[in-house]
Amino acid sequence: MGSLGNLASSGTLTQILVGLSRTTILFIVSSGLTLILGVLRIPNIAHGSLYMIGAFVACTVIQTLGGGMPAFWAALTVAPLAVAALGFVLERGFFSYLYDREHLMLLLLTFSFALILGDLVKIVWGAEYRSVTVPAFFQGSAELFGLPLPYYNLFLLLVGPVIAVFLWLVINRTRMGKIALAAAVDSEMVSAVGINVGWVFAFTFVLGCALAGLGGALIAPMVNISLGMDHSLIMEAFLIVIMGGLGNIWGALLGSLIFGLTQSLGILAWPQFGIVFPYLAVVVVLLFRPKGLLRSTW
Amino acid sequence: MNGRRAALLLLLAVLVALPHALPRFYTYVAAIVLLTGLLATSLNLAIGYGGIYQFHHAVFYGIGAYGTALMLTRTALPAPLGFVVGPLAAALLSLAMGVVCVRLSKLYFGMLQISLGSLVWVTVYRWYSFTGGDDGIHGIPLPDALGSTGGAYYFTLAVTVLCLAAMRRIAASPFGKTLEGIRDNPVRSAAVGVDVRAHQLVTLVIAGFFGGVAGTLFVVVDTSVFPDMMFWTFSLEVLIMCLLGGMYTFFGPFAGAAAIVLLRVFASHYTSYWSLVLGVILTLVIIFLPDGILGYAVRRHRAGEARSA
Amino acid sequence: MLRVESAVLSFGGFRAVNGANLEVTAGEIVAVIGPNGAGKTTLFHLITGHLSPDSGRILFKGREISGLPPHVICRRGISRSFQVVNIFPRLTVFENVQIAVLSRERRTFRIFSEVKGMEADEVHSILRNVGLYDRRDAESDLLSHGDQKVLEIAVALGGKPELLILDEPTAGMAPEETERCIRLIRRLSEELGLTILFCEHDIGLVFEIAKRIMVMVRGGTVIQGSCEEVRRNREVQSAYLGETGGC
Repeated sequence: MGSLGNLASSGTLTQILVGLSRTTILFIVSSGLTLILGVLRIPNIAHGSLYMIGAFVACTVIQTLGGGMPAFWAALTVAPLAVAALGFVLERGFFSYLYDREHLMLLLLTFSFALILGDLVKIVWGAEYRSVTVPAFFQGSAELFGLPLPYYNLFLLLVGPVIAVFLWLVINRTRMGKIALAAAVDSEMVSAVGINVGWVFAFTFVLGCALAGLGGALIAPMVNISLGMDHSLIMEAFLIVIMGGLGNIWGALLGSLIFGLTQSLGILAWPQFGIVFPYLAVVVVLLFRPKGLLRSTW
Repeated sequence: MNGRRAALLLLLAVLVALPHALPRFYTYVAAIVLLTGLLATSLNLAIGYGGIYQFHHAVFYGIGAYGTALMLTRTALPAPLGFVVGPLAAALLSLAMGVVCVRLSKLYFGMLQISLGSLVWVTVYRWYSFTGGDDGIHGIPLPDALGSTGGAYYFTLAVTVLCLAAMRRIAASPFGKTLEGIRDNPVRSAAVGVDVRAHQLVTLVIAGFFGGVAGTLFVVVDTSVFPDMMFWTFSLEVLIMCLLGGMYTFFGPFAGAAAIVLLRVFASHYTSYWSLVLGVILTLVIIFLPDGILGYAVRRHRAGEARSA
Repeated sequence: MLRVESAVLSFGGFRAVNGANLEVTAGEIVAVIGPNGAGKTTLFHLITGHLSPDSGRILFKGREISGLPPHVICRRGISRSFQVVNIFPRLTVFENVQIAVLSRERRTFRIFSEVKGMEADEVHSILRNVGLYDRRDAESDLLSHGDQKVLEIAVALGGKPELLILDEPTAGMAPEETERCIRLIRRLSEELGLTILFCEHDIGLVFEIAKRIMVMVRGGTVIQGSCEEVRRNREVQSAYLGETGGC
């Protein structure tokens, strides 16, 4: 009896850790989304497409370089940069002219970008799904209380906090970050003191896009890379951002944790409806705190 | 004014004659155009007239469809009852979600609605034993009169025309005008004594009801339901229909719906990249014609009248 | 008719309204004056329910109204105009006023009757009264700033208020528009017997039309009295009239 209970609880623990590693991806993507939403006020639906593009780019890089660790690191570098470059073009080419539009219009504009980008991915990479294997270094599992936890999940568990610290440093310790933070609260004030808000916005947008690309690159070895992988993710990222408080990076972290954990625990508790729990969590949170858990920058 | 009435009558005559002139597949497409147009018009009541950020309207369409489908497949009750239950279920859900959401405004409203709607979607998506899960329900039995493509088409046409007339009436009522006032300026509306939230709630229920009617019609035309009907990308698509045609006109959303449904059917004959085409068109419309195509035409027309007057 | 008793409202640490007292009796024109940021507009927001006071009481016709939502206060008989133009920009001039009338008549929930032309007589008479009748079918967005400010007043009149509150009715108007607006306010008081509470920057104008004046400085009431009393008051002279002496 005792050993059975033990097994159940260690199973719960691995499930939690797997959930947490998925949380990393959710956090990276939704922190980018919330940055853009908080500073530029753009509800960017194309963020999911950028994530998808990040995954495809990572896949191409890894396949071109023939796998192995260097290829993996190259993918983790190239994918965010490529997506950031695309983001730069979008920001300078379109959004920079449209900041004063209604949110509804911006939402629909980014949706049309998502449509366009989706088909562009289809043109470049084809409609079939692709997959890359986890680099040899990360293959295999660590033994945790007698249950396996894949090394790659362990790696993701480490990446999450690293990104969180990195973002904290960028926002609180760099000039650009501080200005962006100020612009999120009051962009008129920032431009009134003679700072070019346009470039602050561009910087923020590009940073947010790079995060989407990074998220895509990190998920690449874990899933089938396919068209449509953007749809479910962007939805989840949006819910996380809403739950955490629009524009609040720590809110995105908190939201991702809640979302990831309720999902993995939900699956454990009631497999069929496991995926329902995170949605339920979002609704419960919003019923009591309609503007999100943490202070939004709106 | 008379010219307009004549044009509408002509259009109606064409629509009545359609099944006799077109192959079955196109009759089916025409029916889909009608009910999607009804769906977009119902959404526009909230977003175009009321200025309410109804971001997840497809949920009511889906619940209307599922309500009817479940009544027809899981109960032995008479079919017409199922046709009533679907829209009523949608209206009821709309009321429940609305009560929670109207406390908020604009983007926060939309976001909360997306969250609630997604919960509904994911429940339907996973509840295999009741809703059929991600497979949906297929081959829904219909009364004999609606069994043929032609029968389903005429039923859809009749209901759509009726609903559009009702919504047109609502749009032209004191309630509709007040709603436009709330859209333009909720603070001012409250200052002249309008209970903004109560009006918004009623609007949501009306919009949800007619969205549910569209869902019921889908069951009649397609004899199936599936959870993608209420996935949020479809909600965005319906929003786009409103935008494309023009949110500040009554018939704009219908025209936008027709354009998008037809574009999908015909463009997908020639290219597998039809959403690229749609995306580009939309981008251009949003940047250059934020009032939509029909809205732009109406504005030009009015400006022309003003000049000649 | 209206009584504000030591109303207080703070935003964060800042007391925007700090012990304001005000009394308006039926039929008179009362002005609130005070330097920029004295809390005049905030006080009006408190009266019309756009903000709720932290403490203090606001009584209208003997009943407490503080904390009630704006639409309820409007139905009790207080209408207002706003400092910054606040109309229904996509609707015509006629429709702007019509909504106010429909709302007063509790007809806004009628969903199946035809709105066109409804209440036309009353709307037309209001528009004639304020001088916007000729522009009744224009989209209100397209009016000049002065006309939009007048439309503000017309919309407020649509509620057939017992108390009309005007927040800087002539702000941003050209001199001849201001002239017209003053005549309008006078006429509303004399012909319709309206009780009017307004705030205004232009002191000359205030002394010209107000029967009584309340002076607000840093959120609190310095004095409320007749024009003469206010003019003689030392505190006012030093705190306010002295500062802006020129105008």
